[in-house]
Amino acid sequence: MSEKNKYYWFEGGTKKGVNALLNDENSKFRWLRPQRNRRILVVLMALGLLLTSMGSYWPTLKTNLNLSSSAGLIIYSATAIFVVLVLVGCYSLLRIAVRSIADAPDELLDERQIAVRNTSFRYAYFILGYIIMGLLLLMLLGPDLKLFEPEGEDGSYIVIATLFACAALPSMVMAWRERDI
Amino acid sequence: MLLSMSRNPEEPVYNRIEEARTALGLSRQDLADLAGVHYQTIGYLEREEYSPSLVLALRIAKSLNQEVSELFSLTPCKKGK
Repeated sequence: MSEKNKYYWFEGGTKKGVNALLNDENSKFRWLRPQRNRRILVVLMALGLLLTSMGSYWPTLKTNLNLSSSAGLIIYSATAIFVVLVLVGCYSLLRIAVRSIADAPDELLDERQIAVRNTSFRYAYFILGYIIMGLLLLMLLGPDLKLFEPEGEDGSYIVIATLFACAALPSMVMAWRERDI
Repeated sequence: MLLSMSRNPEEPVYNRIEEARTALGLSRQDLADLAGVHYQTIGYLEREEYSPSLVLALRIAKSLNQEVSELFSLTPCKKGK
């Protein structure tokens, strides 16, 4: 790959790709810029994360879904894949909405953008801390809730949701807080 | 309105960037390219919603052929001065 289109392994993107987002080269995503639209996206992402984290409980809802039957298992798996795809879609749109500032390398940002990014990471760190604290409290105080094992699940949905939250929170904070981006 | 990005909201830095830029017939993008920042950062600076670092202030002053002291002030700038 040429130096002009350097790939940033740590951030997960190419120089051209990040610059295209920073400079609004793709006009078809300009509708994401207004703060109201960005906030709607943040709410959708938060709902998606919440739904995903509760994935282990879906079969216990009154859906008459029988996981021991192949049809039930297919419906359950398809729903899980759909929710994860929605999350991936929301996350991609969020990155575009904040011009990928949260994930861009320092050398492609100016000092104001770096200040915005650092502030977003600071808030995201606090929020993530509260989320983890809440999960730990639930585990500690409510073993009878069977948080991770309502249907013999291993808590993989909570892990997936937490990983997504780690990746998306800085962009979510930025999308919510910044008036102009 | 001063946002949290201002280095010190209690003591904002006022500037005459917009006036000096338009006098030279430069767009925000032109000045951004000269100073090596994003065009939105020029907008933030002109609206006095962001206070630049000394390095950026010096780069902007150089791009606009002005002294830093002529361009930035701790007191509100008078128009046309």
